[in-house]
Amino acid sequence: MYGGGNTFEGIKTDSIAQEDPVLLAAFEARIARGEKIEPTDWMPQLYRKQLIRMIEQHAHSEIIGALPEGTWITRAPGFKRKLSLMAKVQDEVGHAQLLYSAAETLGKPREQMIDDLINGKSKYSNVFNYPTFTWADCCFISWLVDAGAIVNQLANAKGSYGPYCRALDRICAEESFHLKYGHHCVIYLASGTQKQRDMFQEALNRWWPPMMHFFGPSDKISAHTEILMRWKVKMGTNDDMRNQFLDMYVPKIWELGFTIPDPLLKKNPETGKWDYTEPDWEEFKRVINGDGPCNKERLEVRRIAEERGRWVREALKTPSTKYIMPLA
Amino acid sequence: MKSLDPRVTRLPEMESTKAKKPLDQFGTFEVFVQAKEGKPFQHEGAVHAPNLEMAYVLAKETFTRRFTCTSIYVADTCDIFVSPTTEGNQSAYELIQSENSNFSKKTFEIYQLAKRGKQHVNVGTVEAGAPTEAMFLAKDLFGTGKIIYNVWAIDKSKIRFTSDEEKDLWLTLPEKKFRDASDYKGGDKLKEFLERPKQ
Repeated sequence: MYGGGNTFEGIKTDSIAQEDPVLLAAFEARIARGEKIEPTDWMPQLYRKQLIRMIEQHAHSEIIGALPEGTWITRAPGFKRKLSLMAKVQDEVGHAQLLYSAAETLGKPREQMIDDLINGKSKYSNVFNYPTFTWADCCFISWLVDAGAIVNQLANAKGSYGPYCRALDRICAEESFHLKYGHHCVIYLASGTQKQRDMFQEALNRWWPPMMHFFGPSDKISAHTEILMRWKVKMGTNDDMRNQFLDMYVPKIWELGFTIPDPLLKKNPETGKWDYTEPDWEEFKRVINGDGPCNKERLEVRRIAEERGRWVREALKTPSTKYIMPLA
Repeated sequence: MKSLDPRVTRLPEMESTKAKKPLDQFGTFEVFVQAKEGKPFQHEGAVHAPNLEMAYVLAKETFTRRFTCTSIYVADTCDIFVSPTTEGNQSAYELIQSENSNFSKKTFEIYQLAKRGKQHVNVGTVEAGAPTEAMFLAKDLFGTGKIIYNVWAIDKSKIRFTSDEEKDLWLTLPEKKFRDASDYKGGDKLKEFLERPKQ
């Protein structure tokens, strides 16, 4: 799973004016030919910086995303659901390992990334700052938040950075079970008792606004975005991703007889795109800057886990092993 | 901490050590996986671990939790000797100078990168006194007639292999159907729901 709508740093685009024009041209030609960039290749500072930021945010989202679902393992209805949810949460944490490794090949040590997560310097997907009140909230995440993540991940897997693409290929292969599992859970609620149906409808009402935020605000088509798209760091605009998600999943939600809490939501026959109520971007900004219902709890749980695991790491530590950048 | 999750509420208060102690970071190890009997080992990625043995355990969890394989092995990233990388205009082997070493002979596993964007694949072993010598010898054995972008040589004695007794580690994986998308067939239930008379 993964949070879309990455926030990119507003680096001044003239920073690439300082790059060696010959190397830059060769780098851009390589991407234009459809080749991947590997850790040992020359790359512009801006490319390195934005990729570290993006992959790191993705990794943090996997770790933090495991929390709202992990909390339901003990309360999942029945042994089979517990088994599935446990496997899913384990996958998410495994994905973070793969992603941290990919980001590390760009030169930022893992420890620094984890520090930046705990001290609030790095972001993770905003959607995980919302609480899961009932089992149905957990089902919403498993099905639809994961679906949104897959839309993003499939696009990013076609990006230009080799280690990130390879990690994403592996992740996407594993995510297919998450999506089917989530849909299965929701079908069971939908075809169950009225109480079960109400439970999912309420979860849908709660989660729809954060889900619309998930892909991030409309991109201002700036020179900056244009460069990131040319370098295949960003593979589509946030609106494109949101539209693709709506295309694939709104019919499936309607099929189950649920009501999406947006009276304006409909596919525009002229543009072929979805019309919807503009999400509340003020709330999005407020939550991403720390004032959401669960921001404090998520980071605090992460920090306590780190503190409580310290003695294990210290007991295991061998002075002979040395941290160096992974190879690929 | 007050939370919807009682287990979070029960977490102990822990003093806020704002700055985590630096460098409780483990070493890095590279992981190689053999997907099927008779297939070559391929580089899959890296894990962080305090030692080779733990690296092996973590590699199994990270890379073979979901896909069956016949064997894996791990080596410390520092123990992997890496050749220069070429742009495809010449083979990486061309950049390796012959070197006569007087060290006693060791076995090296040789990995080649045959296509950009792919992963290093094992091509076999050579006996040599030093990694550069191993690569130089590998050129004639494995590197003729094609462009190789990059070569790795790993001293076999530094590798943590899967022993024969451990090969049953993955035998139960196919039984874990709950990790498979195909185990979640909601179609019948959905169909039955859709065909229900609407109230």
